[in-house]
Parts: sequence; structure tokens; C-alpha cells
Amino acid sequence: MAICQFFLQGRCRFGDRCWNEHPGARGAGGGRQQPQQQLSGNNRRGWNTTSQRYSNVIQPSSFSKSAPWGGSRDQEKPSFGSFDSGASTNRNEGFGLPENPFASLSPEEQKDEKKLLEGIVKDMEVWESSGQWIFSVYSPVKKKPNISGFTDISPEELRLEYHNFLTSNNLQSYVNSVQRLINQWRNRVNELKSLNISTKVALCLTYCFFIYGPNCSKFIYLLNQAAPAFGFGSSQAATFVSPGFPVNNSSNDNAQNFSFKTNSGFATASSGSPAVLGSSPAFGAAASVSSAISTSAPAFGFGKPEITSAASFSFKSPADSSFGSPGFSGLTTSLATGPISAPVAPAFGGGSSVAGSGSPGSHSHTAFSKPSNDTFGNSSISTSFSAPSSIIATDNVLFTPRDKLTVQELEQFQSKKFTLGK
Amino acid sequence: MSLFGTTSGFGTSGTSMFGSTTTDNHNPMKDIEVTSSPDDSIGCLSFSPPTLPGNFLIAGSWANDVRCWEVQDSGQTIPKAQQMHTGPVLDVCWSDDGSKVFTASCDKTAKMWDLSSNQAIQIAQHDAPVKTIHWIKAPNYSCVMTGSWDKTLKFWDTRSSNPMMVLQLPERCYCADVIYPMAVVATAERGLIVYQLENQPSEFRRIESPLKHQHRCVAIFKDKQNKPTGFALGSIEGRVAIHYINPPNPAKDNFTFKCHRSNGTNTSAPQDIYAVNGIAFHPVHGTLATVGSDGRFSFWDKDARTKLKTSEQLDQPISACCFNHNGNIFAYASSYDWSKGHEFYNPQKKNYIFLRNAAEELKPRNKK
Repeated sequence: MAICQFFLQGRCRFGDRCWNEHPGARGAGGGRQQPQQQLSGNNRRGWNTTSQRYSNVIQPSSFSKSAPWGGSRDQEKPSFGSFDSGASTNRNEGFGLPENPFASLSPEEQKDEKKLLEGIVKDMEVWESSGQWIFSVYSPVKKKPNISGFTDISPEELRLEYHNFLTSNNLQSYVNSVQRLINQWRNRVNELKSLNISTKVALCLTYCFFIYGPNCSKFIYLLNQAAPAFGFGSSQAATFVSPGFPVNNSSNDNAQNFSFKTNSGFATASSGSPAVLGSSPAFGAAASVSSAISTSAPAFGFGKPEITSAASFSFKSPADSSFGSPGFSGLTTSLATGPISAPVAPAFGGGSSVAGSGSPGSHSHTAFSKPSNDTFGNSSISTSFSAPSSIIATDNVLFTPRDKLTVQELEQFQSKKFTLGK
Repeated sequence: MSLFGTTSGFGTSGTSMFGSTTTDNHNPMKDIEVTSSPDDSIGCLSFSPPTLPGNFLIAGSWANDVRCWEVQDSGQTIPKAQQMHTGPVLDVCWSDDGSKVFTASCDKTAKMWDLSSNQAIQIAQHDAPVKTIHWIKAPNYSCVMTGSWDKTLKFWDTRSSNPMMVLQLPERCYCADVIYPMAVVATAERGLIVYQLENQPSEFRRIESPLKHQHRCVAIFKDKQNKPTGFALGSIEGRVAIHYINPPNPAKDNFTFKCHRSNGTNTSAPQDIYAVNGIAFHPVHGTLATVGSDGRFSFWDKDARTKLKTSEQLDQPISACCFNHNGNIFAYASSYDWSKGHEFYNPQKKNYIFLRNAAEELKPRNKK
């Protein structure tokens, strides 16, 4: 069983009703270093039996905090915590949205989030001042997925575009396109630096998910807190997370069993933010991935099956677009209309209504389904996290509740493999 | 000794005659310049395998050509032959017997160049530029592996126009390396996949990137028993990650180090950060060389975790590097790598390939 962190801090609300172990004299690190397989076993047990336990009590679940992960990023990060087996599925306590959605977190957890956000701000500052290549994806934590809003373009790809435009005597449109990309990047960087509340929530939802694990009650709690502000139905939030994914978020050490951790974690993260699932097909792809995972092999020993189902980074597949001049301007317009278009400035905070509704997603999908010569379009659609931040960042109701999804979309989300737009 | 037709008498080895042109920083390390260097940026370099007597260097460039030189022990470089593609050449490699050269190009094809007959035929086709090409020699098969921006990895028997196998990649292939039985492919969006090549190529493991930015180059290293055991991965953020496939203690054995940054250890002032354009391991010592957009190359000892040497700064980025088969020669190309966009591209600027004696400088640091 996992060690109850709150007991160790002297403030466990459950006392001897608590699901976690209240050790006599064992230290805080005791739970953490267990082999992950054993831990996941606990998780699964905990998941299945936990639902009736937590009724109306919000229990901040007990995670053990690993070594400060926000700090020295050069170190190999130990596996993130021992996940509380007693995570709840039912976090419907209506607290309303506090001013600071993080205020309800314990100081430790707040510190972690703070570190994450500070790390991101620092990285952005370094990125801007260092003159390094700007068309690159970025992740604030090693081994974790990329933050949305950045496109991955290699210098060779950019140079090839230059040569192609040169031969077609259309250098100006190349220059314009590059300028547009630069602006997108700059906007995104500024956004990350300024860290308004919605960006914060979006980031923490995604990355803290990795800290706290797929079953984390904290995550669900936070989501539910954030949900009302963004028009999510909290029950939906809970529902999405509840299919207790037997996903093993073990560290790389056990990667033998568990090949594509990022993706599985990815999928669980995305499933945890139902709002965005509704609106973005790219995100929907994530959802399909997650459903693939939950239907596939049990937690450990995923091995190959997981790779093939989940790991086709398939979020990107629909969005191929060629760079050629007509194609490119076509790309940017369709980017602007698509919810997936994370890097496009209007998608953030510009109240671009297109980002919200679920349906344009399918349109924009088909808009760029050319399989060849992918450059920008693809990568911008890339990271499935693009959806949450862009969508949460705007103030409109941005996700379509389940009941409003078209039949086709619903089918897509529930199917094993996302096929729309391929 | 110099075979250059140019008027400026460049020095070759050791004794430089730069003299009055003090601002000319194109060869601060006074290394041997390769004659008749390509007219545009050099994207890839490759030395001949040990099966071929002597040293032959192949370079692919953005001028759509692939050139071959013979490098003699005296340091003389003799241009031997040239082939053309219809697009910039992104990667080159040799077959294991040294008779063929494989070239991958932006024209979405890969060609096999028979050096003895000086004929080149197409052996591969993709839907997007081919970024990497490697020759795989297994006990029960031989093939060419091509990685492309069309997100596929294809394996070709050179005699057939259909690939033997096609593996899907999560994203565009950015760089790859092969040392049988292991292959590593790094893709866009920080994807990283290891393949095992025994019997037939298959995906072995997907690895979460130890780096936070775009992957740029990768090179496999071997252990003391000459078996591939891990790889070095470079990113655009002046950082290289050393990653072992099955280390006893991953948290301690895997690590990253910063390189190709200005301002050295002064962490308070904002650094300039440059991309790592290439990584190459010394075939004998196991130490590694990195080349960057800052126009420097550095030698490192990954076991002692120390830097062995950093070069002076060249006036252009160093876009490619490689060692010859016995590690005596280190070749690096000085040409623009597009790291600062099109504004800094000067088509008139000369591109160089330099050769350096690498036998001594890359000896590992003795561990305490």
C-alpha cells in the first residue's frame, strides 16, 4: 500500500479509515522506491474498490513527492511518486472556483506547480535571449510531452522551402510565412511567460497530471475546480477520468515492459480534460488513444501492443499540409479556423470562436489531409496539448458536451483509432 | 603541397601562411582544407570503411552534388568523382565493402553509386525528402535503411524497387544511426525510437526524450566489447544527452551535458545557445566529437564526463563531421546550416571541409 503523506505530515483526515498506510516510523521516501509493478497492482486494486468509499469528502490524495523535479533539470528524474491507490472518481464537491484554483492544494503541491511554472518562464526567457533555433518544440520537463503551441521545423526543412520558393520566384511569400511563424512563436512564448490563470491551469492540468499520476484525485479535483469557470460539466470531468486506466506510469527504468510511456500518459492526460476532447479532433485522437489503452493489455507488460495502438503519435496524422505557396496560405487560414491551430495567435485569448465548437474541427481536418510534404501544418497540429491550452485560454465555452457531439465525432472519439481526416 | 587553384595561398597542415589576413577566420585551427569543396552547404560527410584501402571521403551538399575525394596519408586530397541529384543531398553512407555509396536527397529518392563504374541508380523512393540513409549488414540480410520526412522508415534491397519493409514513424525522421544490431531514429516532436535489426528490423523501444527541444543529431556508441550499447542525442539547444539502452542505474548512467554555448561557465549573463549539428564517436577511443552552429567543434569523454578540447571559433557554423575508420582523421565541414534563417545566407561564401589529425586529441582522460 502507498504511504499516506498526510499522515506523515500529521494531518490525515481519515485517520484509521484511511486507505493508505500510516506507518509507525517509516520515512516519507518509503513508498516511492517500490518497483512500479507492485505499485500499479495497488493502483488497480485501489481503483476498483475505491468508488464507493469517497462520497462527499474531498480528500487531497496522498502522493509522495519525488525529488524536486522542477530544479536541476539535468538529472534523470525518478519516477513520479507512488500513486495513491485510493484516488477517487467522484469529485463533485461544488466549491465553486476559487480565485486561485491552486489555493486548495497543499503547500507542497503548490510549490511543485510553482516550480513548474517558474521553470517554464525561465526557459522562455533563455530561449528568447539565446538566439537558439526558434522553430522547435519544447517540453518543460525531460521525458514529458511537449507544450502545445510550438512547431517543430528543422533547419533543413526551412531551407528546402526557401529553395523551393526561390525557384518559383516567390521569395516574398516565403519571407512572409517565416515571419508569421516567428510571430506565432513569439506570441506563444509571451503567453507562457505571462502565465495568466488560464494558461497556468492548462499547463498544470497537463504536467501535474504526470506528477500525480492518472488516478490522482488532486488532478480531478483541480479539474473540477477549473471546470465551472470554463463551462465544463464537472460530472463529465469525473466520468472521463474514471475509467481507471490501468496505465503504468513507471519510470524509464522499467521501460522494458512499458515502451511508450509518454503516449499512454499522454492519453490519460487528455482524457482527463474532457473539455478539450470535445472540441479538437487532434485531441480526439488522444482520446481514441486513451481508449485504445484502456482496452488493451493490463498495466504492466504493455510491450508492443501498446506501441502500435497508442503510439502512432497519431494526433498529427490528419494534419499534413504542403508548403507550396498556395498551400501555405491555405494552411494558415485553415489553421486559423481549426481548433487544433494552437500556434495561431487568435486561438489564444483572442476569443476566436472557432476554437470552441467541435464541428470546425472536422472541417479543418480535411482541409489539410495531404500526406506529403508535411512541414508546418503538421507540427502545429501536433501536440495534443495544443487543444487544452488554446481552448482553455479563450473564454468562450469551448468544448462541446458529449451530448452535442455529432454522431460521427462521438464515434471517432470512442473508436480505437482516430480516422477522421486521414 | 597545396592543390588549390585559388590565389590566396592557404596553408595546409601545420605551417599556416595566413599572414596579413588577420580577420580571415575560416580556418583558425589550421587544419587541412579539402580541395574543390562543394559550392553550397555541406550536409553530410562519410569516410570509407576499413575494407577499402586508404581513405575516401564523401560529402553531400545543398548544391545537389555528392563528391568523392581520396585522402592520402600526407594530407593531400584528390577529387575523384562526383554525382548529381535533382535536389540537395541530405545524407550519404558507404556499403560495408566500400564499393558503393548511398546518397539520400531532397528529391525524395536515394541512389546507389557504384564507384568503380561511376554509375548511380535510384534504389529508393519516398513521398518526402529522404533525410537519413544507412547501410545495414546483418548475417542473414543486407539492406539500405532510409528515413524520410514522410514519417516512414523504409528498408530497401537494392535490386528491387519495392521496399523490403516499411515502418511507420510517429513523426518526420530527423536523424538516425545504425550499428548492427541496433538502430536509433530521432524524429520531430522529440520522438525517439530504438530498433533492433536481428532477423529483421523491428521496433525495440520508444524512449521519452531526455532533451527538451528539437532533436538534431544522434550517434550510437559501443561498449568495451564493441557492442552498441547506447546513443548520444544532440538538440538545437546546445545540449547532448548520453543515453544507455539498458543501464544498471539509469538515473546515474544517463546524463546530459551542455555544449556549444557562449559565455562558458558564466551562468548569470545570457548565453548564446547553438544547435549541435553533428555527433561522431571515435571508432577506437570511444570518445566523441560534437560540432555546432557556433562554428566550433569539441571533443568529449563521456565516461569521464569531461571535455577534452574545444576548438577556436570558425566564421561559419560547422554543419557536419565524421571520423575515418581508424580514427586518425576527423573531418568537419564549415558551411552555413540555416541556423539563423535566410538573412544570413550568403551564396558567395566559400564552404570548406577540414581534416584534422585525431589520433592524439581524442584519447580518453584517465579516470581517477
